[in-house]
Amino acid sequence: MDLIFDAFSEAWRLLRTGDGDVYGIAWRTLTITGSSTLISMLIGVPIGLLLALGRFPGQRILVAFSYAGMGMPPVVAGLVVAILLWRSGPLGQLGLIYTPGAMVIAQSLIATPVIVAVTSTGVMALPPALRLQIRAMGAGDARYLWLVAREARLPLLVATMAGFGAVVSEVGASTVVGGNLAGETRVLTTASVLEMSKGNFGTALALGLILLAIVFAIAVVLAAALHRMRRA
Amino acid sequence: MTAPAEVVRLDGLRVHLGKRDILVVEEFVATAGEAVALLGPNGSGKSTLLRTAALLIEPAAGSVQLFGARPRGRGERARLRRRTASVFTDPTLLDMSARGNVEVALGIHGVSGSERRRRAERWLERLGVAHLAGARPHTLSAGEAQRIALARAFAVDPELLFLDEPFASLDFETRARLVGDLRELLAASAVTALIATHDRGEAELLADRLAVLVGGRLVQDGPTRQVLEYPRSAEVASLLGHALLTPEQVRCLAPRVEARGVLAHLPPGAVRLADDVEPGASRVPLLSIRGAGGRVQLVCDLGGPATFEVGAAHIAGRELRPGAMLALAVDIERLHWLPDTTR
Repeated sequence: MDLIFDAFSEAWRLLRTGDGDVYGIAWRTLTITGSSTLISMLIGVPIGLLLALGRFPGQRILVAFSYAGMGMPPVVAGLVVAILLWRSGPLGQLGLIYTPGAMVIAQSLIATPVIVAVTSTGVMALPPALRLQIRAMGAGDARYLWLVAREARLPLLVATMAGFGAVVSEVGASTVVGGNLAGETRVLTTASVLEMSKGNFGTALALGLILLAIVFAIAVVLAAALHRMRRA
Repeated sequence: MTAPAEVVRLDGLRVHLGKRDILVVEEFVATAGEAVALLGPNGSGKSTLLRTAALLIEPAAGSVQLFGARPRGRGERARLRRRTASVFTDPTLLDMSARGNVEVALGIHGVSGSERRRRAERWLERLGVAHLAGARPHTLSAGEAQRIALARAFAVDPELLFLDEPFASLDFETRARLVGDLRELLAASAVTALIATHDRGEAELLADRLAVLVGGRLVQDGPTRQVLEYPRSAEVASLLGHALLTPEQVRCLAPRVEARGVLAHLPPGAVRLADDVEPGASRVPLLSIRGAGGRVQLVCDLGGPATFEVGAAHIAGRELRPGAMLALAVDIERLHWLPDTTR
């Protein structure tokens, strides 16, 4: 019991004083996961719409790939990106390995299939007659896509939350491609694991609590947006 | 006088579902200002024909021409669709206000902001739903939603209107009111309308021309009154609610009528329940009663079952039960013999 109590006390102290660069780590986590979620949305939503609305050879296989990608272990995504960005690798000259940029790429690789799968499933679930009606009104391709995406705005919001959730909580890819360098690539999950391994349960718990607070705050913001969309 | 312009032309049309033909139409033309009802039972291909003509389904073979143009490419199809409007069985409203739904359609048609709002409000008012302008689809009844769908369709001032069983999911009263309103709207505009329906009464009220589809094929096409009165085959006659009678059954009702075929038909209005003492009325045993909505089918024993359709109002106040004797008055002048297709 003492261990748990001490851990909470230490967590509270760190949160109060900001010692150990906890807020710096938190900010870095937000910027990296925010960037990777945004990039994944920009790539994943159009692909999801295409998979749901298009008709082309290999479509079913691509849908299956996106579903399989939802279960991709982060460490595997990290490994693939690390091999590509390794100094002697095909993209080594970019000098991205062990940088936040590498972490954004790896996390985008994790979040994109999640966003593709949730988007395409959400759009496929729209009543076919509704899509037909939009076409029947004479909408061109761009307006058709816009109106379909608007009708699927709740699934798109869920896709964002799912994508963000997948990357904010991962450790494997961030460790492999980021290297957990203090002040550079250390994020809440990797820092928490490091502190745990050193026996600093209080610090690990403080970092975990901040992570939970961030996830909760973002969930609240998205839930409020969702509520407003349903009333709009 | 020049002939009215062709608005829709379908030639050698084949539409597949999997490897099966679900619609085969050699030729179908609708001219400017015509209201054509496509009548048929479920699965007869009327919705498929409508959607193919609306450029929403790509046929496996044949050609579709709208306003004299055969569309090539997605852009041209969208451009031609903007000269049309469609209303489906399900109102298919977008998840926004009623006014927003009408405004979106007007926006697609390039109508500017203030004009959009003005026209949306005018058409919502015309359809009697102005008070629902701010309502979201999930708060509307089926009838209200369908009125908004109609407002959305008419607001864009279409040259061609596709109505795919727009009242099929409505209750009898709502349906009757909406059919009446639609009839007025069609009469007040110069729009060409294709109306898919399985309801003979709707077709009669709304259309100048009736095209009957059975099993994905166009089996009869002509002026509405003519098709309703003179179906070309037993299947069309049956679909239109005619009583089909063998020569022996005809003799039960009118002993002096000479048989001129193997099967005769009587349109629904040609048979009515009479008083027992009425001269010329035939007394026949009632086998069973079927029916829904405003129509009732009386299955009578004329040496074999024969089904007569009467309006629900005609049986009001009468105690009808299987086994009872009915007095039927038949307008024998309206009896017609079908050609014997077995020869």
